[in-house]
Amino acid sequence: MSGHHGPTVRISLRKGRDLDFGAAPGGGPAVPAKVGAVALLGADYPGALLDPQVAEGEAVRLGQVLCRDRHDPRIAFVAPVAGRVRHTRRGKRRRLEALILETGSDGVVKFDTVAAQSDAAALRALMLDSGAWTGFRTRPFGHIPGPDTQPAAIFVTATDTNPLAADPLVFLTPQRAPLQAGLDALLRLTAGPVYLCQPAGPPLAEARDRLVIAEITGPHPAGNAGTQMHHVFPASADRNLWQIGAQDVAALGHLLRTGTVQGTRVVAVAGDGLRAPGLCLAPLGADLADLTRDHLITPGATLLSGAPLGGRTAQYLRRHDMQVTALRPSETPSGPFWRRFLHALPRARDGAMIPREAYDAAFPFAILPAPLMRALAVGDVETAERLGCLELLEEDMALLTWLCPSGLDYGILLRHVLDRLAEERSA
Amino acid sequence: MTRPVWDANRLTLALAAGAAIPLAARIAETGAALVPALGLALALALVWQAVFSRARCRPMAWDGVVTALVFVLLVPDGVPLWQQALSLSFGIVLGSLIFGGRGRGFLNPVVVSLSFLLISFQGIPDAVAGTPVLVAAGVSGALLLALGLVSWRIVTGFALAAGLLALSRPGGIADLSSATLLISLVFLIADPVAAACTNTGRWLHGALSGALLILFATGTEAIIGLDPVISAAFLASLFAPLIDQGVIWRNTRLRARRQIRGGHHG
Repeated sequence: MSGHHGPTVRISLRKGRDLDFGAAPGGGPAVPAKVGAVALLGADYPGALLDPQVAEGEAVRLGQVLCRDRHDPRIAFVAPVAGRVRHTRRGKRRRLEALILETGSDGVVKFDTVAAQSDAAALRALMLDSGAWTGFRTRPFGHIPGPDTQPAAIFVTATDTNPLAADPLVFLTPQRAPLQAGLDALLRLTAGPVYLCQPAGPPLAEARDRLVIAEITGPHPAGNAGTQMHHVFPASADRNLWQIGAQDVAALGHLLRTGTVQGTRVVAVAGDGLRAPGLCLAPLGADLADLTRDHLITPGATLLSGAPLGGRTAQYLRRHDMQVTALRPSETPSGPFWRRFLHALPRARDGAMIPREAYDAAFPFAILPAPLMRALAVGDVETAERLGCLELLEEDMALLTWLCPSGLDYGILLRHVLDRLAEERSA
Repeated sequence: MTRPVWDANRLTLALAAGAAIPLAARIAETGAALVPALGLALALALVWQAVFSRARCRPMAWDGVVTALVFVLLVPDGVPLWQQALSLSFGIVLGSLIFGGRGRGFLNPVVVSLSFLLISFQGIPDAVAGTPVLVAAGVSGALLLALGLVSWRIVTGFALAAGLLALSRPGGIADLSSATLLISLVFLIADPVAAACTNTGRWLHGALSGALLILFATGTEAIIGLDPVISAAFLASLFAPLIDQGVIWRNTRLRARRQIRGGHHG
């Protein structure tokens, strides 16, 4: 704890693993990307049912409401760009899977922020109407928080230890003023502490009473909100925490200062399918092909929304991913003979979890990885809950998925278990 | 999503390479006498796996190769081939395949095979392998440790418990450096499928195996034979799930206490 900067928590973790997937983007300004289409994706908001408020072909302004949550219509999902609704796609049980916007006009919705500057209820209303609220995810469950709920603490993630991720200090340092404004606003949503989790270095914000700077260092996944919460202030069935990305908080600050929605984020674009890694300024839900088109070595690269770990093959950027990975179509085997031989060896099509010590060494939680993986693999909801899965979200399982020879995706399995637990709880 | 480094085939390849090193030393030692047994074991293992993969409509798994290699390494000279075939079949089917294959059961098929062999047939001689096999087993054990396929916690726990108990016993114990013991430690006792799957559990599992070994080795002269090693490995793997349950129970209690106390702050 240091004096005039207010409270600071310093945590350094040893467990985890940094994997080398090539060069990550360095510094330099983020280049605005020319994006033709953006999407609002239902899968980004587990627990929510998106109800469209616009018709196909309708022109929308930046910040205009596209959808509302059927469970609580106060939760609005807004357009990150001005444009026109190209189409809506529905999936199972007619749930909205995606709402695709074509970019290309310049209307902007102006929000009245005067009341929100002082009144907590007005601040909540502004965040709900402007879509800023959908940046929050709760732990447990990873849902959008209810508009009337109060978290025990809010975690702001200004760290990213994912492979190929950019250093958040590079693009957050110039945004310190809106970030501070956003953090001050978050303090009015909870009676508990607000933690700004950042890498070691100059503080990104001024710590004051309940606003705590948490400096977290260590190998991946030290930068994940789940790891930070676990070591600073763990979530549980009775302790509801919210997490939000630092860029979303800066966008909230921008909204409070200007009255307009900031629909763009700094996105890292990297991977061995690209000529060089870089930073771009892209709207939320941007078409991944548009973000990578000018930089691909060969066409046909696999595009992942997210990191090589835990990222998913996708067409559009997922809501909480600030990273795009382009992988070469097929790894061309090179190097020593054994690497080429291993490449030629056929992959097993399935297999079981083999408990190795590597899982324990890569999992910086006081949660036992192998028993948890077994419970998730067989869908044992009770055991998974007893082992502590309520503290976790999909991204926390990415490293275990990568280490496990079974080929199971523990993130997806965890999501099924969390959905079942949330259902039981609401019933 | 990038693909994991390890999959079932690569694991099989690494373990088979590990078993092939001492096996090569063994063949160099005994000559061609081992070749029919090796061929029979490999053929049996693959036939059983093919039968089960057809019956279950699952892709073929190849981990039976490792089972066969380790079985041939450990089975004493002079055991008739039909006895070997019967016990290996018993072990592969009832120790592994009936649960759904490697990673889905809780026993190592070689341990089940050799237990069957030792219990069912009279007059099984003690396996005696020379120093080259011991050295080769040490090399493959070190390689598998480096690859992270053998848990150093199990190995250390085993060595500590066995060493301390052996020293404290009146009259001391015979040589602990036998090839049979080292091969069993690397491929059977430290087999991740049959061992405990938590870090604390691994220490306890290793220590339990070592203690059981010294307990069963009572009265054995000269050198540690196959019988006490296999009995210790079998009993320890039966206790592994219980050890893990104990560790899980302690972990849930500790985490509940953490939740109440809160975190670093507040």
